[in-house]
Amino acid sequence: MKTLLLSFLLLFGTPLLAQKTMVIHIQTSAQCGDCKARIENALNQSKGVVYAELNLDTKVLEVKYKTAKTSPEKLRESVVALGYDADTQKANMAAQKALPLCCQPGGH
Amino acid sequence: MRFIISILLVLCSIHGLKAQVRGLVQGLDSTSSRPLKNVKVSLKGAQTVCYTLEDGTFELVLPKKLPDTLIFEAKGYRTDAIVLSKSDRFAALNVTLISGQLVREIVVNNAKAAHGISKLKTLHVEELTSAEFRKAACCNLSESFETNASVDVSLSDAVSGAKKIQLLGLDGVYTQLQLENVPYLRGLESSFGIQSVPGTWLESIQLTKGGGSVVNGYESMAGLVNLEFKKPAALSKLSLNFYQNRFGRSELNAHGGQTLSKNWKSGSFLHASGVYGRPDHNHDGFLDQAQGRNTALFQRFSYQGKKMEAQLAFQAYLDHKTGGQVSYHENPAAYGLLIDNKHFSAFAKTGFFGKKPGQSMGVIYALKWHELSGFYGQRAFGGLEKRASISAIYDDIIGNADHKFKVGTSLLVVQIGQWAAQPQGGALVGLSRTEWVPGVFAEYTYSGNRLSAVVGARYDQHNLIGGQFTPRAHLKYALSPQLDLRLSASKGWRLPNFVADNVGLLASSKTWIAPSQLRPEISYNLGGSLSQAFRFKKRSGAVTLDVYHTWFSQQLVIDRDSLTDAIVFKNLHERSRSTVLQLEANYAFLRGFEGRLAYKYLSVQSLYNGQLQQQVLVPRHRFLVNAAYQTRNKRWEYDLTGSVYGRMRLPQGGASNPWLNLNAQLTRNFKQFECYIGGENLLNYTQQQPIIAAAAPFSSAFDATQVWAPIMGWNAYFGLRYTLK
Repeated sequence: MKTLLLSFLLLFGTPLLAQKTMVIHIQTSAQCGDCKARIENALNQSKGVVYAELNLDTKVLEVKYKTAKTSPEKLRESVVALGYDADTQKANMAAQKALPLCCQPGGH
Repeated sequence: MRFIISILLVLCSIHGLKAQVRGLVQGLDSTSSRPLKNVKVSLKGAQTVCYTLEDGTFELVLPKKLPDTLIFEAKGYRTDAIVLSKSDRFAALNVTLISGQLVREIVVNNAKAAHGISKLKTLHVEELTSAEFRKAACCNLSESFETNASVDVSLSDAVSGAKKIQLLGLDGVYTQLQLENVPYLRGLESSFGIQSVPGTWLESIQLTKGGGSVVNGYESMAGLVNLEFKKPAALSKLSLNFYQNRFGRSELNAHGGQTLSKNWKSGSFLHASGVYGRPDHNHDGFLDQAQGRNTALFQRFSYQGKKMEAQLAFQAYLDHKTGGQVSYHENPAAYGLLIDNKHFSAFAKTGFFGKKPGQSMGVIYALKWHELSGFYGQRAFGGLEKRASISAIYDDIIGNADHKFKVGTSLLVVQIGQWAAQPQGGALVGLSRTEWVPGVFAEYTYSGNRLSAVVGARYDQHNLIGGQFTPRAHLKYALSPQLDLRLSASKGWRLPNFVADNVGLLASSKTWIAPSQLRPEISYNLGGSLSQAFRFKKRSGAVTLDVYHTWFSQQLVIDRDSLTDAIVFKNLHERSRSTVLQLEANYAFLRGFEGRLAYKYLSVQSLYNGQLQQQVLVPRHRFLVNAAYQTRNKRWEYDLTGSVYGRMRLPQGGASNPWLNLNAQLTRNFKQFECYIGGENLLNYTQQQPIIAAAAPFSSAFDATQVWAPIMGWNAYFGLRYTLK
């Protein structure tokens, strides 16, 4: 039994243990539930993201990610590409224009 | 004047010592935004209110207790709310409200809970959104209620396997159905119509217990179910859904939205499904489910102009079902089943906005043609319905948005014919009639701080039964910011269609004894609910208790107890009533988990065989448990639903066994794909002998109408959803 457990750990455990994760917080310009869904859906499906959660009260996006697969720069870049500000970086204007009215600046 | 202003300024500066919030409210129409006056600005917790001035500005003193929610309400605009925290003290807000005409198109229900009682509405309205429908890969409307405790879904008979709904323990015919506030699935569709609405087309469902608004008509006796299909602007370019189950049911749904011009948008919906499997797991010689094909199309257009908006929609569906004995395939003398439904309809809505905010005028037109035909063994049935209706509604406010009213007029013209053959192909029973129902209605809504009320009445002049006055009142009082009390009293009535409403009862050898006189069914409903929202260990939850009592002053009662060889339809006075109590609790007990627990007690009684007894096939007790878990990255979703159905009374002194149903589903979300697998009736519970005398379907003992549990055992299904943005 013990050997079985150990071999399982060796087979599946090591890759999990080897992966380092970090949590970052990104200040975004999201303003409604639709924005939240857009950002979360996109980030949660991108490479290296363990989870992404946006708090609408503070507009802060919390992302847990695998350091080997992505970086804070890449994550902020994806937020910008969706049409939202990420910390000091300004939103991609073309993407912002394509957002529904309620997600555009001043829409709320 | 200057003096008053300076006093105001002084007052303001005194108030200025306290925390206050100032701001400007603007309204955004399709083209421009402008300051809005008379917008109601209220603090939910502190219960303070003010209104914006001519130039759209407002000032409000903040309470000590923060955070609080600031709500903005203006007629013709979408109600909005923001959370004020301590850091917002002395802040200046710039709020833009979005015009109602824009909003119908752009607001998606993403932010809302999948299911819940709306806190802002005066009526007790349960809102089910698409997130809820995804929990059970629902193929059609009847299955959308599987995770809901208020609505019960049951089988109409063991031959067709058609599903029907019950609300407050009362048959689905007493619940008014509407599609985006247009009458829907009425008349001939009351038996099979609910299965014609694909679940993937639905954006949300609003479920009201007791009488609905008088604006929507007189027919909501047990409740009102409003369906909202997906709106053109919120539609993705293309969405596909494929479903396959173990019993040979395949389904394909597609929908997509198009932008035709700056003002015109459209949406197209398609549904095709078929049941090809021929299982007979209980070896009673009857197919466990009817085979068939179902095709449905829905095409909608929406127009948004500066001063008006319009909606236009066309729908068609064809439903063809066959079933009965397994041997009917080769041997036409065996017991067979055929059900054919053909439906075409169109509706249009136009809305004009007045000069003043809050003023608008809406007109709704609807047309329908429906043909029903088929047979259960030797009992043929059929019907034809043509229906046209128009209603005009004028909306305005009295002074400010606290006092709103609606007045209007409506006209309904229905030509409906229906008939059914007696056992052994004997004489026909049925009727045809033409109804002309002009009506007028008025409704007043008061929305105060803690109290809000909706009082309305309508008068309809029916050409066959004379005038009917229908008053209704709803009241909501906030006992505390988290505790709402709701009360309602209403009257409703309808003209029964005893053939169309009870087609499933043809699956027996019992003769139908029909009344010679057509009488309206009239019911009164009194109800109340208490709803407490709470936070426990940082997670939110809610407990709701509601009790509804319905009594019929006149009802067409189906008596299956008096005679052993016949079903008696009789006009009954005063002796029919239903009392339903429901207790429901929701709580997010762990991160990502959402749990729901519900209990329902149903006492639905009427005079059967001279005795006041529980209605057949309605359980006294029912439980529902639903647990949903979503991983933090929303890639995986797990759902588990358990329902317990208590003992039900059967005709002629029999009783069913209590049973438990268990459904589970697992969903994996990818960027553009979603896959799901699931199982239904996982405990493999089936009713022994759902068909009485199945071996001799033409004998007088044959009866397939006493079905209270699944006929088929456990089911497994899988499906795929694809979205092209």
